[in-house]
Amino acid sequence: MNPVVLPRSLFIALGLLLALALLLSLALGPVSLPLLDTCKAALRLLGLPVAGDGLEQAELIIGQIRMPRTLLGLAVGAVLALSGVAMQGLFRNPLADPGLVGVSSGAALGAAIAIVGGASLGGLPDAIAPYLLSASAFAGGLVVTALVYRLGSRNGQTSVSTMLLAGIALTALAGAVIGLFTYLADDATLRTLTFWNLGSLNGASYTRLWPLLVVTIGVGLWLPKRAKALNALLLGESEARHLGFDVERVKRELVFCTALGVGAAVAAAGMIGFIGLVVPHLVRLLVGPDHRVLLPASALAGAALLLFADVVARLVLAPAELPIGIVTALIGAPFFLYLLLRGRA
Amino acid sequence: MRVTARIASLCCAVLLSQAVVAADALPQRWVSAGGSITEWVVALGGQNKLVGVDTTSLNPIELKKLPSIGYQRQLAAEGILSLKPDLLLGTEEMGPPPVIAQVKGAGVTVESLATKADIATLEHNLTRIGALLGDEAGAAKAVADYKQRLEQQAQWVKTAQAGKTAPTVLLLLSHAGSSPMAAGQDTIGAWLIEQAGGRSIATHNSYKALSTEALLALDPEVIIFADRSIAGPEAKAALLKQNPALAATHAAKADRLLALDPTVLVGGLGPRIPDTLAVLGAAFYPAAQPLTANAKP
Amino acid sequence: MLRADNLAVQRGDKQVLADIDLSLQPGEVFGVLGPNGAGKSTLLDALSGELRPSQGQVTLDGRPLASWTGPERAQRLAILPQTSTLNFAFRVEDVVGMGRLPHATGRVRDLEIIAEALAAADAGHLAGRNYLELSGGERQRVHLARVLAQLWPGAKGQTLLLDEPTSMLDPLHQHTTLQATRAIAQSGVAVLVILHDLNLAARYCDRVLLLQNGRPHALGTPHEVLQAEPLQAVFDLEVLVQRHPERGHPLIIAR
Repeated sequence: MNPVVLPRSLFIALGLLLALALLLSLALGPVSLPLLDTCKAALRLLGLPVAGDGLEQAELIIGQIRMPRTLLGLAVGAVLALSGVAMQGLFRNPLADPGLVGVSSGAALGAAIAIVGGASLGGLPDAIAPYLLSASAFAGGLVVTALVYRLGSRNGQTSVSTMLLAGIALTALAGAVIGLFTYLADDATLRTLTFWNLGSLNGASYTRLWPLLVVTIGVGLWLPKRAKALNALLLGESEARHLGFDVERVKRELVFCTALGVGAAVAAAGMIGFIGLVVPHLVRLLVGPDHRVLLPASALAGAALLLFADVVARLVLAPAELPIGIVTALIGAPFFLYLLLRGRA
Repeated sequence: MRVTARIASLCCAVLLSQAVVAADALPQRWVSAGGSITEWVVALGGQNKLVGVDTTSLNPIELKKLPSIGYQRQLAAEGILSLKPDLLLGTEEMGPPPVIAQVKGAGVTVESLATKADIATLEHNLTRIGALLGDEAGAAKAVADYKQRLEQQAQWVKTAQAGKTAPTVLLLLSHAGSSPMAAGQDTIGAWLIEQAGGRSIATHNSYKALSTEALLALDPEVIIFADRSIAGPEAKAALLKQNPALAATHAAKADRLLALDPTVLVGGLGPRIPDTLAVLGAAFYPAAQPLTANAKP
Repeated sequence: MLRADNLAVQRGDKQVLADIDLSLQPGEVFGVLGPNGAGKSTLLDALSGELRPSQGQVTLDGRPLASWTGPERAQRLAILPQTSTLNFAFRVEDVVGMGRLPHATGRVRDLEIIAEALAAADAGHLAGRNYLELSGGERQRVHLARVLAQLWPGAKGQTLLLDEPTSMLDPLHQHTTLQATRAIAQSGVAVLVILHDLNLAARYCDRVLLLQNGRPHALGTPHEVLQAEPLQAVFDLEVLVQRHPERGHPLIIAR
């Protein structure tokens, strides 16, 4: 298949799309700001001396609310898309999803433990609560992924199909435990649990953003280095070995890279689905399965898509907010069904 | 003499200006979250100051016309700020904490009140709301009236009870009849039951789902049900349909199933509570003379 | 040079391969024949390092196979498995291009090699096509081009192992494939090919190993090995062995 779009044109288009998404994310919101004020405030934020009066509100909204939120959306979208590519390469299946390895459910379980545990301790101090939630989700994701990996490995060799089954089993177990918490929880905890499960970029702040940004940059720099290995892995594990790649090491790295990325994203923003599944798929349809192009393109597309979804999430019910997981599902699911029906999946 | 007069007028001017400044300093645009809190704001005359409310603030019905800031535990900072509020009033249930911090950081006063179901908390809350409205006197009167009504209720219970044992009562909170959760010992639900002269037989804390067997074992004489999604007689029908085992309880057999507006349970003690107590009390002790005219169930 | 000494492989308590001694000579095409379950694929897996032998060892150029690492080994040893599970819509050139991954020859030279390898596998006309749209036989030839590209242009010291490369091909392409293996053998590459067609083995192989129940039954030239008696013993099939009228190699005809 000749790529529908040449790589270079694709990157230009994606770059423009992301730039548009960034602009919309900064310029649109329940508080209506003149576009000029937005630009001036954003430039001031970057440290440039810009003249202008009466910009305090703009600087507050842009600096304290929209900018961290935009950065959060950028990082979460990119890292979820990259993890999707990694998992689809690892499982050699274009329908794979980071959730398959158990990261998402492990992170959800970690967060649930933090929420319910915190509630039973009579509430945690406000200063600690969000960090504890994030750390707990991150740890949960790593633990479950490590378990899945261990269950699927023997004598230093991992069997992808065993990992898949283990992932399904542990996801079910995590779901059962969360279900237990849901049942035992009181009304208040229940509502918190449910809302967190739907994912949101709400309340983004710079302090909580840094760990995720670091992880995203790390994953974003590291994965493309494995692009050739991922390509070879698609042929099959023994074929990749025969081509000279240390397949076991690559698989280990892919699993932990995904655990890191998705765990951090889920910890920062709750469960946001479909980005890891749909974005790599879309990009692959446009430009083919070569990971050297697929990885960076998916990162850009994932970030742009999540930012667009977030703009919708915070405008459609303003001044209230729709959980972003709902928007991505509403965009992603019909598109995916369309793909399946067209037989391209 | 002139000097004294001058000093006097100076003092008056200062006092007046303080009053003016104070009046200016009172928040004019209010966002309120948490059912009963909003009800008190309206009861104390602050309705025209409200520019936005949360999804639990449904009384009075005119509030529905106001912009909604969403569920009180999942507020959006920019959404609230777009209403240009001077004050965000709510309970400790408001969240998420980073959003509250963002709203505070934007210069909005955030007032977080407790929701404990006792008079001391209510007095403190009403005093605060009164101060923010600039009507401490009105607030104090509301507190006094409330205390009086609760005392009247307590007296009535004593008389009505007169040697009889209090009926065993359970309060169930459900959603379209299904997954009913029983109000535990520390909830407003239990407080309502006790104040109305019943005996709450729940032994757990907060709202917990009880199995039908447990419900049958408890076998209350009266069941109060509050449905989050259905109102009116359909709610009772839905409850019995979704939980057929309930029909075996004393309460169902004697048709002592009482409807309750669930928003009464949110945000601490609210202004409708005394009336609610009268209705409940009359239902608990049907033989006694109801406390108020419209308390006949 | 790839060599197996006293090689044995055990699966559970079943001895699936035993007493295997062979060394692949540069420039030869070495055929492995045997009925189903005789251990042909097991032998290939052991020789390629996929299976650990329970006894004996496999050496490449005197060093144990396991001690060779990554690209170093990939530049000298290429393996074509029987089937491929590639499930992604790569272009044909990209699939062949993966054979160049162990090398650092640069894009321009790689493109030339890809074209030459495709031509050698008689798949040049498939260039530009979507791999997933090809038939089973076409895919097989693309993978052949890939392993050829991996060793291109072929030299003494390199080894190519092929597991039933003709299983899905039509008669013409069965021959063109084996002609391609002979061609690369001429450059010095040692080729081992598992076949189940006795006549193809007779025509294209320099030496043949006849396997039965994991043990070598006979090892030698086609003339020596492909005779009525050993064939009947191994395949339980009565055959007539005649001479090919034009080429002179054995022609095996079932009775």
